[in-house]
Amino acid sequence: MNNNTAVSENAPKIKRETKNTIKVDFERTNFWTRFKLKYLTSNALVSALWWLFRFILLLGISYVILQPFYSKFASSFMGKEDFVDVTVKLIPKHPTLDTYAQVIKENRYFEALLNTTILSLSCAVLQTISCSLIGYGLSKYKFKGNKLIFALVIFTMIIPHKTLHLALYMKFRYFDIGVGKFGLFNLLNTLKLTSFSDIKLTTTYWPFVILSITGLGFKNGLFIFMMRQFFKGVPDELEESAYIDGYGPLRTFFKIIIPISIPMMITIFLFAFSWQWTDNFYVETFIGSGAKNKLYLLPQIVTVPKTMETDYAGKSLYETAIRNTCGLLIIYPLIVVYLFCQKYLVQGIERSGIVG
Amino acid sequence: MTKSSAKQAPRKIVSLDKRKARAGWLFVLPFVIGFIIIYLPIILDSLKYSFSKINIVAGGGYETVSVGFANYQSALFEDPSYVQILLSGLTQLVTDVPAIVIFALFMAVLLNGKILGRAAFRAIFFIPVIISTGVVANIDSMNILQSHMDSGSAIDDGPGDTGATNIINLADVTWLFSNMQVGTELRQYVVALVNNIFNVIKRSGVQMLIFLAGLQSISPAIYESCSIDGATAWETFWKITFPMVSPMILVNAIYTLIDSFTSESNSVMKYIENVYSQAGQNCVSTAMSWIYFIIIVLAVALVAALLSAYVFYQKRD
Repeated sequence: MNNNTAVSENAPKIKRETKNTIKVDFERTNFWTRFKLKYLTSNALVSALWWLFRFILLLGISYVILQPFYSKFASSFMGKEDFVDVTVKLIPKHPTLDTYAQVIKENRYFEALLNTTILSLSCAVLQTISCSLIGYGLSKYKFKGNKLIFALVIFTMIIPHKTLHLALYMKFRYFDIGVGKFGLFNLLNTLKLTSFSDIKLTTTYWPFVILSITGLGFKNGLFIFMMRQFFKGVPDELEESAYIDGYGPLRTFFKIIIPISIPMMITIFLFAFSWQWTDNFYVETFIGSGAKNKLYLLPQIVTVPKTMETDYAGKSLYETAIRNTCGLLIIYPLIVVYLFCQKYLVQGIERSGIVG
Repeated sequence: MTKSSAKQAPRKIVSLDKRKARAGWLFVLPFVIGFIIIYLPIILDSLKYSFSKINIVAGGGYETVSVGFANYQSALFEDPSYVQILLSGLTQLVTDVPAIVIFALFMAVLLNGKILGRAAFRAIFFIPVIISTGVVANIDSMNILQSHMDSGSAIDDGPGDTGATNIINLADVTWLFSNMQVGTELRQYVVALVNNIFNVIKRSGVQMLIFLAGLQSISPAIYESCSIDGATAWETFWKITFPMVSPMILVNAIYTLIDSFTSESNSVMKYIENVYSQAGQNCVSTAMSWIYFIIIVLAVALVAALLSAYVFYQKRD
């Protein structure tokens, strides 16, 4: 306590002292010398150059990524005249909202938007839940067949979905549980218990829902794989302590595991949502590509509206621009979702420990 | 404690392992059920279709007539361009996959360092993963077709152009490498790669994320001890970063392989899709894609076997 008496001679002189801070006076090399030693060395120069190189490289690649979006964005505001004008490149000369207005009105944009939002949201929620359940089961429990099931998950990832195109369509067009004549409904029918005939699930949401619940939807193999790797990184002690406290596996999962895996689940949700949003393989298989379908989804709005069909020198460019505008209308909502979720994307992956 | 538990009524004792095994089955149940009642029949059906012909029955429903290996024969020997497209697709893959993996690793290292606006760069780099898929990618591929078709006309460089089509040309690169004895193939490869940079970026998003995760998991203590020993950044990369992320290189190589094999923009997939949409060719296209699937499995197995010999796993205690 009485350190005032123990102060040696060359100790810094105390200028001011309050309860929490202390300001001392000591000899300091002057600013210029410090600057020279710190920044005017070859080491500092090299690292500054490296920093600059890195920054410019990243800037350039960001440009390459963003430029196509910008060129589409700009061309979506261009009038007809701009497409035959060679001087117009990135800034429209005759700005107009006609393209948007026509596409929204004629291609029934809002109807498609509503349907796709329902579809993507429900698919993403179901897929996030089912993939994390399956991933958790595969990562934390040892049981006979664990490896086999994981191999099957990888198999669903590897098989090109074109291989199953016809079979998928047939499955849901003439829906039955089981194979061919041995299908459940078919058997019930032959036993005269029921009279299901020709259950048609295509052009409804059901194929998507069924595939999502069972973790077989679009890219779900990847999601299960990611969740499995993530849960492998979660320390076992966490669950053990929960078991000791008397929790069962399900309660442990919902009370302990889910709260700590929220960033990862948001990542999965974001992937599932956006890939379902722009997916056209499953939509084409189950719904069809015409505009006359009962269920009208976003991928189907990509056509040139009837009233905008023209015949002039810039026709092909103009129609491309209209198609691009349809594409932009599809991705605008996605961009909003992405802006909200992107910070979880990196965070979730960083914590995932995909490290083998 | 022990006394009170001994006094309790004797219960059927199930070991923790068994209970955990049951719980494990419970968790994977959705997948197992789905696989057995939906996916397996689909796969079997698909296999069956590849060996048969479909006739739609007038009253609703359909029947299949077995035709043996006829579909496979017509895919491999009668179809004029299937084998050719298959081969060119495979060569394309051999050049694309290393480029994507190396690019993703490079970018992940850059994005992992401390730079101005790192969050913004990361956000921009992952935009293509989220957005340039499915329909949007389809529209994009039509754009490129468009610019090819219009290349003779005056309005070629109009706003519909994707802008990333021609960044450098072969002459520049030849000039750059003129003093080095580099073969034409390599130069062409570099040119094709740089001109294709948007495509490479677009396809390397998930890989970048996986590499970033891997880089984040390397303990900073190792880097610290390296810098104390006086290692340069170059040495640190090859001696520390590279071995430590090598498991991720394996994962990414396989992921890239699978992804580019099964992506919509793949020329083989496009061709199969084309055949599928022709009348009466459904089954032939299914046969084609089964041939393709076998090739994929072989390729993935080959790459996995080759790379896993060189992967370094850090031993964990």
